[in-house]
Amino acid sequence: MKPVLLIAINFVREQRWPILVMLLWVLLLAFLGLSTEAGRQRDDLLFVFKQVAVYVVAFSVFFGSSAIYNDRRSRRILSVLSKAVARQDYLSGLVLGVTIASAIYCFALGLTGSWTLGQSGFPVWQVWFLMICLLAACLLAGTVALMFSTFLNPFFAAGATAAVMGLPALASYTSGHSQWGLAIPVYALAAAVLKSSFESPQTASWFPVILAVVETVVFWIIAARIFSYVDIAVSVE
Amino acid sequence: MTDMGGVLQFNNVTKEYRSLFGKRFRALDTFNLEIQAGEIFGFLGPNGAGKTTAIHLAMGFMRPTAGSGRLLGEPFGNAATRRRVGFLPENVALYPRRADQLLYFYGAINGMRTSRLRPRAAQILELVGLKEDSRRHVSRFSRGMLQRVGLAQALVNDPELLILDEPTSALDPVARVRVRELLAALRAAGKTIFLSSHLLSEIELLCDRVAVLNQGKLVRVGKTSELLQASHQTEIVARGVRSDSFVGAVVQNGTVKIVVPPDRQRASVERIWNLGGEVISITPQRRSLEELFLEMIAEPKSASAKGAQ
Repeated sequence: MKPVLLIAINFVREQRWPILVMLLWVLLLAFLGLSTEAGRQRDDLLFVFKQVAVYVVAFSVFFGSSAIYNDRRSRRILSVLSKAVARQDYLSGLVLGVTIASAIYCFALGLTGSWTLGQSGFPVWQVWFLMICLLAACLLAGTVALMFSTFLNPFFAAGATAAVMGLPALASYTSGHSQWGLAIPVYALAAAVLKSSFESPQTASWFPVILAVVETVVFWIIAARIFSYVDIAVSVE
Repeated sequence: MTDMGGVLQFNNVTKEYRSLFGKRFRALDTFNLEIQAGEIFGFLGPNGAGKTTAIHLAMGFMRPTAGSGRLLGEPFGNAATRRRVGFLPENVALYPRRADQLLYFYGAINGMRTSRLRPRAAQILELVGLKEDSRRHVSRFSRGMLQRVGLAQALVNDPELLILDEPTSALDPVARVRVRELLAALRAAGKTIFLSSHLLSEIELLCDRVAVLNQGKLVRVGKTSELLQASHQTEIVARGVRSDSFVGAVVQNGTVKIVVPPDRQRASVERIWNLGGEVISITPQRRSLEELFLEMIAEPKSASAKGAQ
């Protein structure tokens, strides 16, 4: 467990600048929301909040799809996997790292959302529930991206992840059956955030969250299986 | 150590790379080798011979296309076994942070406890000559210093087996001598060292045994001293004879030096005596590793490996 945690912390450390920029973005928007006229425009505030919230899913996909590639291109992966670190531990470390990076963003957004939306009458507990939904979506999206990145270039891995996450949404939209959206519940979880409003806050359903965690484990197992066959010393250029 | 005989074993290992279009390239071809505990083993070969591929297979970075191997008695790729191994890659690539923090990180992911890790890291940094720079960021290090930090991370877990791919390629002569002394000290402490290098003089000075690899095939393996003495030439030094009496004779400090094959040794000595000369010495000629290496890689590709264990 210790190597997994160390690899995760190392990943966050390596990604500290993008994470910091994301945090500053959240804080800047919160400051604008609190200090300007927009503070009194409840719907505008919620719109910005929701928009900023769903960005983190895209960030987690980018983090997940480039993590292995960056380590392989720099050849730093060799110095890690030459130690007593199994490949599945390395992958677990990266999944945890992507999740920690997303969690930092979600936590900052939860805090600022509680100040801004709470002042406008939005239930604070609802903000935190939405953050949990977002984090679950990031966990799953990051793991799917990581799985594709075990054998694809980050650009294609991100595209494949978008396709896998988008297909259930498309099926749900075209068939009219919302259950399709739960097949890979990233869209369902993001929709929970996007559809929440002051008038009708989303009913708190833990099912998509639990489903996302279970599917994360499944995708992690698939990723570990594929990664165990990858020649990591071969150049990725 | 291991009960399986060799510390590192390759059994009929073949590795093929495939391009996107299915074109195959055989980097290693039915490769057999066994490294014994406590020796410094030199691994030689020209660029593209398959040395790094063999090392990467041993470390579990890739899987063999055919054959198998064991590292400290366990099949290649066993993560727990790597706790007892130190590895220095050819191109050292480390995370950008302070040298001491880097060692803490690599030691900790290898399962070392903090209480043991801190003094060990300080000791190793001193050993590789980076004590003064231990709190400096490695991104500001020269290539030679990076290589020394790379060596430090390989040594931090006090490994039984060290696998070093070109450990001194970026070092200046002083640092090179220091690393050589360090490796000799590690051998004296009972460690096994598998050393891949292009620096033949270094291999000649350090290694108990060497293997030469060419185009994925093992060309020769044996004790360094035996391989270097396995010349089929004898040097006869004489005085009191004219140099033009013998083909290829060289005059040196008033003596005549003649190099002859073994079947002409007796006749040459008798001729010196018949001409009224005196034989000073008869010595089997010792080749340099460089000569041996060039000779071996020039042999036909189809030559089968000699003496593989």
